[in-house]
Amino acid sequence: MTDETVDALLKSPPFSQIDPTGFKRSLPFRDILMNDARIVGFDQGDIIVRRGDWGNSAFFILSGNVCVELERGESSLPEEILGRRTAKRKSLWESFAQLWRNNREPEVREIASTGSNKPFLNSRSTHGGTRIYLQEVSTVLDKYRTARLDSGHWFGELAALGRTSRVATVFSEGVSQLLEIRWQGIRDILRYDQNGGLKRYIEDVFRERALAAFLRTDPLIENCQPELMQRIVDQVEFHTFGNYDSSKPFKELKNSEQNKTDAGEPVIIREGDFPSGIIMIRSGLARISQRHYNGRRTIGYLSPGQIFCLNEIQAGIESLSPISCQAQLSAIGHLNIVLVPTSLVEEIIEWNTSHEPPETRKNKQTVRTAGSQSVRIKNDILLSQLVDRHYVQGTSLMVIDLDRCTRCDDCVRACATAHDNNPRFVRHGPILNQYMIPNSCLHCVDPICMIECPTGAIHRDLAQGDIVINEQTCIGCAQCASNCPFDAIRMVDIRDTTGNLIVDSKTHSPLTQATKCDLCIDQRGGPACERACPHDALFRVDMHDATKVEKVFTS
Amino acid sequence: MRNLFFQQKIALTAFVFLSAIIFIAYYLFSITLSNTSFASGVTLLIFTFILASYQLRKKLPFLPIGNTSTWLHFHIFIGLLSSVLFLLHIKMRIPDGLFEFILFLTYSTVFLSGVIGWILSRSIPYRLLSRGEEVIFERIPIHRRTIHNKVKVLIFDNANSDLGSAIPDFYDKHLRSFFSGPCNQMRHLLHSKRHRHQLSQRFSALIPYLNEQEQTVLHQLEEQVQLKDDLDYQHALQATMKLWLFVHIPLTYSLIIFALFHTIAVCAFAGTIG
Repeated sequence: MTDETVDALLKSPPFSQIDPTGFKRSLPFRDILMNDARIVGFDQGDIIVRRGDWGNSAFFILSGNVCVELERGESSLPEEILGRRTAKRKSLWESFAQLWRNNREPEVREIASTGSNKPFLNSRSTHGGTRIYLQEVSTVLDKYRTARLDSGHWFGELAALGRTSRVATVFSEGVSQLLEIRWQGIRDILRYDQNGGLKRYIEDVFRERALAAFLRTDPLIENCQPELMQRIVDQVEFHTFGNYDSSKPFKELKNSEQNKTDAGEPVIIREGDFPSGIIMIRSGLARISQRHYNGRRTIGYLSPGQIFCLNEIQAGIESLSPISCQAQLSAIGHLNIVLVPTSLVEEIIEWNTSHEPPETRKNKQTVRTAGSQSVRIKNDILLSQLVDRHYVQGTSLMVIDLDRCTRCDDCVRACATAHDNNPRFVRHGPILNQYMIPNSCLHCVDPICMIECPTGAIHRDLAQGDIVINEQTCIGCAQCASNCPFDAIRMVDIRDTTGNLIVDSKTHSPLTQATKCDLCIDQRGGPACERACPHDALFRVDMHDATKVEKVFTS
Repeated sequence: MRNLFFQQKIALTAFVFLSAIIFIAYYLFSITLSNTSFASGVTLLIFTFILASYQLRKKLPFLPIGNTSTWLHFHIFIGLLSSVLFLLHIKMRIPDGLFEFILFLTYSTVFLSGVIGWILSRSIPYRLLSRGEEVIFERIPIHRRTIHNKVKVLIFDNANSDLGSAIPDFYDKHLRSFFSGPCNQMRHLLHSKRHRHQLSQRFSALIPYLNEQEQTVLHQLEEQVQLKDDLDYQHALQATMKLWLFVHIPLTYSLIIFALFHTIAVCAFAGTIG
């Protein structure tokens, strides 16, 4: 952006309302706009963000209008008109041909033939880039339910800050001009703006657009009447714990000699405190621990959507006196929570009790614990180790049961075959009880490896949400590898098809690229390692799936 | 685990049921005065190809043709079933022809190596966890060399120049061969700790002849002996798990060739013997 553009932006709201004095001298507000933002123009029907894409930036409408798709499920805009590329999977023949087509040299890269790429359906070149567009905007507006946003509105900020997927498709109605800000820029503005205008705006937007849907994911609140739901939405509080963007505290904790349970973790509610409401995890992970002699013992953990303190409030209602919290809740890494005040929870419970059918009343105990169910393992020492080492971050944690593993290395060989003869993990790592956690990517729920990638080469796959590295855009800066606390990303020297190292034309030093497990995203049938284990010793575990976790770690 | 027992129960029931069917079919076939050996032989040949296809599945991990573990369960099941059929095929007698005897021997070795392999793959992983650090098999020589170098530094380093010749002599006599390569492999397989006790006794016997500094070095040496012994334990067990396949797989290929030759010979002479 030019100085003139930034000056013009700084004079108009909402940027004129941001207090620049709170910003660091090394990172003034003006520089944030200059470096992390750009002005983008869109024509009639141009798709700005698509439902399901993973967001890295937010948009502010400078001029014109945009339309937000409101429908979900079957009635939403079909994938074809959104120009969605189907995931590139190897055909049966391509899979088979890996037997002889795989390179003998390690880490061979082929220069992409850009000219042969077929253009997308519904794509056009405009404003210096290729855009996907809707051909019949008026038909789309007639057929699908949409909402119009005009100048002065933000959108996409929740997905960008939460590092989650976009929940709706947004397209331009007529010609529009938007300011796109990378999430790093929004983070800095939120952190240093003394007025807190943008923070309030984002919270209000979340309250208005997404909170009700989020709250309804819990069975307790699912069936609330609209009037009560509106009061809940108006009264809930948002709280944030832990450092948002840095992996440093986590790495320090992981490498510390003490490695004490919950050491350094911000406490959300202490054991023995009286709950002021139910705590619902919006993003991040939380540890549940109890006092055990002179220390604390981990008894479970919570992942997004799960709630805490409900049992105490319910017990309080039954005994007519407040019950203190039976365990402590602390934040693992960065955590966003929603607090529903006790008075409202009591109303919800009362409403549920009066409206539940008689057959459900018989199973009251089941209903009571369903929403507050945390991930638990019978072996509390193992659970504590998994939480302390942050393995609970994993959505696809590789676990090898050493009581069954014959060390045949078929898993490593299968991985190598699926990746052009380059294994993407080492069958070596910490051993917790009889379970080995090899140095393989966990596909974290909050991937800190993605934070500082300058080119966005490490990204979430659009279709499945797995974290993958784009070889075409990885510049080998090693930020991801140094950020990853599990040492699951390795930097490798790359070679051309003749086996020679590819070197920098100026410095003549070998070029490196980051490599990691990609869950065999281009292979048919999923991760080859898991399917290749002849003894059912290797599992990929989503640590937020309580049933799977219990099944794998209980033997 | 409950699920595993349930699966095994089902597999056992299926095995008993199918074995009974094979026996009944064989009996019914024999009372019709048909050539039962030809039928059982052809079935055995098909079984052999099915069994060998497991190795092919392992070479194609990227194809969506079922988990390897399911294939292994099937491989074991068919292997066991083939033994019933084989006993019927040879009519519970050791064949007297030279080629038939070689074929009998090859099948028996493949079958027994498979059973032994199955037992090993169920028993050794549990034992591997009980002693020593988890080490990748190919890296064991590196770890062994590191330990040996540490021992050499302890004994011959200039920093310990005040040491007399007692420990170097002890090293030359009892420890040099121990540290230079894998030792006591059979004892480790049999879970015997006799060699450890013997060495320990030798260490104890030397202590009265050492000064304080030498005793400290001896204790450090003892720690390294324990590390090396644990590494040998890992080596012995991991090597056994890899080595049985070197018997099982090549002999399977030999068995296929012999069985094919046997089939061709039987078909060729079938007309002559009627």
